[in-house]
Amino acid sequence: MLWYAFIGCLVGTLVGMLPGIGPLAGVSILLPLTFGLDATKAIVMLAGIYYGSQYGGSTTSILLRIPGEAASVMTCIDGNAMAKKGRAGAALCIAAVASFIAGTFGVIMLTLVAPPLAVFALGFGPPEYSALLVMGLIFLAYMSTSSLVRTLLMASLGLALGTIGIDVMTGHFRFSFNIAELGDGIGIVPVAVGLFGLGEILATPSRRVTAQVIRPRLRELLPSRTEWRAAALPIGRGSVLGFVIGIIPGSAHIISSFLSYAVERRLSKTPEQFGKGAVAGVAGPESANNAASTGAFVPMLALGIPTGPVTAVLMAALLIHGVPPGPTLVNDHPNVFWGFVASMYVGNLMLLALNLPLVGVFVNLLRIPYAYLYPLIIMFCVIGVYEVNNSIVDVWIMLIMGVLGYALKKFAFDPAPLVLGLVIAPLFEMSLRQSLIMSNGAWTIFLQRPVALTLLVASVGLLALSAIGQMLRRKDWRAKLAQAEAVEKL
Amino acid sequence: MFAIGNDLPFGELSAPGAGMMPKLSAGLMMLFALLLIAGGAQSRELAAIDWSDWSHAALLVLITAAAVVAYRPLGFLITMALLVFTLLVLVERRHALVAAGYSIGLTLFAYWLFGKALKSPLERGLLWF
Repeated sequence: MLWYAFIGCLVGTLVGMLPGIGPLAGVSILLPLTFGLDATKAIVMLAGIYYGSQYGGSTTSILLRIPGEAASVMTCIDGNAMAKKGRAGAALCIAAVASFIAGTFGVIMLTLVAPPLAVFALGFGPPEYSALLVMGLIFLAYMSTSSLVRTLLMASLGLALGTIGIDVMTGHFRFSFNIAELGDGIGIVPVAVGLFGLGEILATPSRRVTAQVIRPRLRELLPSRTEWRAAALPIGRGSVLGFVIGIIPGSAHIISSFLSYAVERRLSKTPEQFGKGAVAGVAGPESANNAASTGAFVPMLALGIPTGPVTAVLMAALLIHGVPPGPTLVNDHPNVFWGFVASMYVGNLMLLALNLPLVGVFVNLLRIPYAYLYPLIIMFCVIGVYEVNNSIVDVWIMLIMGVLGYALKKFAFDPAPLVLGLVIAPLFEMSLRQSLIMSNGAWTIFLQRPVALTLLVASVGLLALSAIGQMLRRKDWRAKLAQAEAVEKL
Repeated sequence: MFAIGNDLPFGELSAPGAGMMPKLSAGLMMLFALLLIAGGAQSRELAAIDWSDWSHAALLVLITAAAVVAYRPLGFLITMALLVFTLLVLVERRHALVAAGYSIGLTLFAYWLFGKALKSPLERGLLWF
């Protein structure tokens, strides 16, 4: 088991470091590698890739000022400024220790929160699940950095794509165009790999990926006492903030790092130092994105609800291995749940060991020209997608989604809601129709069940808040995050 | 979606049919698209979008599409080696010999990883192994 956690963490570190391949593409492309394994080993390895990428992303951000993945955008600012001042080693050490503390805190919270939440969710019926899925989508729209309308449009497109295939209630073929493979619907892996893997490569000509790597010396890795002191509180705040945001649907690891940066700058006695190499600007965001990536496992494991595209792919992985995630997971497959949790404790320790002493080795990998790297990624995309179902149709879907991902990037649409809509569509449709069967067709069933009613009222409230915010053109944290991301893309 | 899903029964609000969810999601897409058009004046101008990389993207799509077509008839080893070689020579303008060495080495590594170490059934195509 530990061996698979180690492989996952190692691959995750590489995925996080290398520009052009984020955790979602990494997890999706490498999913077929787990087909020969049992469910526990598979999920341990795939989750290792996810949380490992949060560690790895900081290395590229600090040394190259290129975020290896989106959650590391904020680390670029002060991490690279520290590196330019000759404190690259200290910045890397603070990022790694912050990630370790936050990751471990996240796992402790996951251990404490997930089992009781699963017990509570055992009482959920189809109406509660319908309301929960609606709230998930609305939360995603609320937390999104692009506009509410754009996010909901993408989610609707995902819902529409999710209806392709046999209708399980009536047996009707929907939009399958006599293609047998489409009878099972569109898989999440070709869509995710296409949108986030191939789409990213199409939009990244190799001439644009050139940067000077700052090479840190091993003896410079230890931060000074003043730097440790400056990092302590931001790590604590980032861990708590990240975990809470991680539970909420949306691109939590990205949002949490931005929020943590904003909080630290506001609380700092020397806010003018932010952007010029402030230690808190590295420690806060790095701890927040790691705690968030762990927090995202709570709804996935306890409720069977994906909070983002990565957890959606991880859910798909569990289903492929015959383990349905959700409230019954803890009781029916305790080896999977507890094996996974235990591996995360050790995994965080492995990542600390990997990211500090071996930083020199990883820096050498960053010297591989992107021109030689992306053909490898395209090859892995094709093999990875084909191997899921041995289906060439899936590979065509991936290619189409790659082109769509490229276009969406150009028109500034976030593809994450599309993936989430695709996953949620069949679950939502099934639970909605089951709810109506339960109530003999009366929609009032959603108002008669307290949990469902609460969730729906919360959804309406969030929608109203978001709409009011946009009407008033208020520049809140989401607008600032969108601006920061846009600046980094330039 | 409305047109091609016309034969799917919509059902009733109290008992949705197979066609309700697709039409509902298509309707939502139309609604949000109209809202987007209505607020178009506040968006970035279309002319401001940088399309300078479109030829790179198109070439990549064409080469990958060719590889997808060839994958089953030619098999994993030949197709993937050709895919990587073509990308390096046609798109990246690398030296043919270097590209050939890299593409063959990379394909053999992937073959060992997927086919041998992980025992994934890779397409044989023209080859016998």
